[in-house]
Amino acid sequence: MSILRAVLAVPEAIVLLALPPLLLSVIAKTKAKFSGRVGPPWLQPYFDLYKLIQKTPVYSRTTTWVFRTGPIVNLAALLTAATLIPVLSSDSLLGFSGDIILVAYLFALGRMFTVLAAMDTGSSFEGMGASREVTFGTMSEPALFLSFVVLAVATKSLQLSQMMGSGLAAEWQVAAPALVLVVGALLIVLLAETCRVPVDDPATHLELTMIHEVMALDHSGPEFAVITYAAALKFVLLGSILLHTAIPHPPSLYFLGPMLRMVELAALACLVGIIESMTARLRLNRVPMLLAGATVLSSIAVVLVLTGRMA
Amino acid sequence: MLGVFAAAMMSIVAAGPWLSGSSPIESAVISWPLPLGTAHLALDGLTAWFLLTIGILAACVAVYSPAYMEGIAGRAPAAAFGALMCALMASLILVVCAADAVLFLVGWEAMMLTAFFLVAFHHDLPEVRRGAWIYLIANHIGTALFVLPLFAVLTGGAGSTEFSALGPAAGTFNRSTLIVLFVLGLLGFGTKAGLMPMHIWLPAAHPVAPTPVSALLSGLLVKMGIYGLLRLLTWLPPLPTFCGILLLIVSVVSGVMGVLYALAQHDVKRLLAYHTVENVGIIALGISVGMLGQSAGHPALAALGYAGALLHVTNHALFKGLLFLSAGAVLHGTGTTAIERLGGLAKRTPVNAFMFLVGATAICGLPPLNGFVSEWVIYSSLFAGVFRGVGASGAAPALGLVSLALMGGLALACFAKVFGVVFLGQPRDAIVSAHPTPVRMKIAMGGLAIGCMLIGIFPGQWLPLVQSATSELVRSMPPAEVELAIRSIPAPAAELSKPIAVFVLVVIGLVLIRRRVRAWATALHRTASRVVATWSCAYAEPTARMQYTASSFASSLIVSFRALLWPHRELVSPAGTFPVASHLETHAPDIAERELFEPLFGGLARLFAMVRTLSLGGESGAKPDIAAESGHPGPVRTLLLGLVSALRSGSIQVRLAFIVVTLVLLLVFEAISSPTAVNSPASHKSVDTAATEVKP
Repeated sequence: MSILRAVLAVPEAIVLLALPPLLLSVIAKTKAKFSGRVGPPWLQPYFDLYKLIQKTPVYSRTTTWVFRTGPIVNLAALLTAATLIPVLSSDSLLGFSGDIILVAYLFALGRMFTVLAAMDTGSSFEGMGASREVTFGTMSEPALFLSFVVLAVATKSLQLSQMMGSGLAAEWQVAAPALVLVVGALLIVLLAETCRVPVDDPATHLELTMIHEVMALDHSGPEFAVITYAAALKFVLLGSILLHTAIPHPPSLYFLGPMLRMVELAALACLVGIIESMTARLRLNRVPMLLAGATVLSSIAVVLVLTGRMA
Repeated sequence: MLGVFAAAMMSIVAAGPWLSGSSPIESAVISWPLPLGTAHLALDGLTAWFLLTIGILAACVAVYSPAYMEGIAGRAPAAAFGALMCALMASLILVVCAADAVLFLVGWEAMMLTAFFLVAFHHDLPEVRRGAWIYLIANHIGTALFVLPLFAVLTGGAGSTEFSALGPAAGTFNRSTLIVLFVLGLLGFGTKAGLMPMHIWLPAAHPVAPTPVSALLSGLLVKMGIYGLLRLLTWLPPLPTFCGILLLIVSVVSGVMGVLYALAQHDVKRLLAYHTVENVGIIALGISVGMLGQSAGHPALAALGYAGALLHVTNHALFKGLLFLSAGAVLHGTGTTAIERLGGLAKRTPVNAFMFLVGATAICGLPPLNGFVSEWVIYSSLFAGVFRGVGASGAAPALGLVSLALMGGLALACFAKVFGVVFLGQPRDAIVSAHPTPVRMKIAMGGLAIGCMLIGIFPGQWLPLVQSATSELVRSMPPAEVELAIRSIPAPAAELSKPIAVFVLVVIGLVLIRRRVRAWATALHRTASRVVATWSCAYAEPTARMQYTASSFASSLIVSFRALLWPHRELVSPAGTFPVASHLETHAPDIAERELFEPLFGGLARLFAMVRTLSLGGESGAKPDIAAESGHPGPVRTLLLGLVSALRSGSIQVRLAFIVVTLVLLLVFEAISSPTAVNSPASHKSVDTAATEVKP
């Protein structure tokens, strides 16, 4: 890693850490636009986080240290993943060959501890949410890995930053059908993993129908701030994987690349807002079908790539 | 117990030099006349790796056992238990050190018998006797029908029982003999290892054995099956691709079905037993990539696959041992391992809860623990297999990849269920009390937990140790390339340790920041945190009975995978204005047991009963009891009935579908039976000629 890269990493890290709540705002504004409202102020998510941090937490008397550790481990796992995933620029800080596996398992680690923190309360609602989270998480994992297989085979690399860099731009010329399918699968995985419509509705107010929100029912104050921030960060990370696959930037863009990427992330948030405004949430027993659909899309992509390479 | 501990320590010391560098094979011939050979012991890299595994786990179990047996067995014959443990230890070491077929089989048999007596330690209980019998019979069938013929063919070809003579002899065998030998090894050693569908002894024996024995069964005895398979592979020349794909499919089935059955279990130890089936599947997945690499002539791929498998052998011994010992501490403290009766143990036995959490995180393959390191190597090998297009041009490793991802997700669900229900929340059954865990048990578990963490956080120091064991397995390949391939194994691990260090530091940093923030907020508001009841939608008095149960937690996944599991559900739902007692029962009976072994042994029993009737004249034989008669139709029966009724319905589409399916099956059969590969022009030609011949 050159010194220049290390110096440039600092502003990028600052932007990356500051950006996530703003994207929540973009989604909220889009949805407000669609329902003819003005929507909350742009900086509302930051105000919310500040308010939560200074609040006195309330703990359930059933809970143990697991309840307090869960959100922290989740956030730490996502922050570590952020050093491996190319977000704004096309390379990553600590990327190495095989880092895709680590990224997928860091997401899983975060899920494990979120679920355990929820189950620590002994509440049936949170148990329900935890059960749904692990079910849908299990089903989106094969789709994510199959998409990785396509990218890995196309670019002959196991390092995220190489799998999505300029090498992929050349692949779009020859393997476009497979990559389109992968983008579709990754979009479904993004919606499922970040608990967005049509898998989960972050705006719902009925505990029985929630997934992500219900797991955080008993979390309050700083812990809830950590959970909210981590959810926004996860959106940025998975969104970046999707964007770097869909729109690989040529290296000739230099400093324009990261700027463009920020605009694209905002556009992605807009798209999610539009999907949320236009579609209804799926019935819970239909969600596995959607995720199986993502797995099928990425399996077809794998077949396309493998047969394309043989020919 | 002291003997076991000493033996364990000695085996670690003995293994030492082979792990740090490759020293020449050291052997000891004891001039003790065995009926068919000499007692020849030898140490090489592979042996050393398994000795290390045996040593670490056995040492911890030796520390753990006395306290456990005092608490559980009371005045049970502890001396007998200790003696049997020592005998088991000796036979384990004999199996891995034997360099002679006869001595190996003697050790193998001694290991099986001592383990049988240990499993049947609480033999006054009928279910213990049943589990022990299933163990004994399954293992003996595996040995007698498959392992003995395997050695008979090998030693017959070599004219000697020395291991060193078997390799050159195997080189002279033709292709079909090699395939037969491999299949014999897969069936025989696979029975010991618990690969599906030969796994049925695991869920029968593990829950009934005393917990230290379960830990040894799962951590070490099962691994002897893996050792046998690996040792066999060192003798055989590179096998046809078909064998690698066969092993890959068997391991994928073991892995996915093992974890699915685990998810459906209601008993901690039975659940852990099914997870052993899953993890053996993961190990075998690594071996299958190694075999595919060998048959395609890619030393780097072969080395990576075998290294992943070997690393997972040790890692699984560590975390599964830890999980079993922790489950034993639950049993010791509460007197039960029924998941639905437990709850809230993290408050009452916090140390044990932490140990179980470490084991659970490791077994799910999550960073920063040891399970991740070996699964990462196996993932890398599978990706490398896809890149190089081995095994049906990359499709087989791709199948392995997606199955491994699915297994990871399901294992996470399963351990979230166990840990969440047993250790978190509130106690579900007021009768169940929880005694504190004795210190010696904590020390033993702590040793294993530290092992899991050290390997996970410093993979760069751990991976080089596996090099000499791996080089034993790929010795048949060109030495220069092998040397290069072996050297390249630990290279990426150094890179891996950087993000893992970042993760550990970030966790510590966040905990510190959270402390500061709390102090600042408390100073701001002058209030400490409040402790109240769990939120239950404004219901003020939530009780323990209102918690989500383990079965409910798992049910959405089990329903999603019902086509594979065939769960059995018995529901008496509340009805009427004043509903009376209602109940719900869910089971997932083992498909291999129901559809393969019960009909097989039931048929044998009927056959023998008939023979007996003939020979004794009139005396009716014992009626075999078959669980399939209980009314709930199994998957095979349902499928057959469905097919028959579909045919009877006589609709033209169904008949067309049957014709198409038959054609496809015939084509597949044709493609497989032709000697050349599927995609070669020759096979197309043969299909074409077959088609033209049929035409009039």
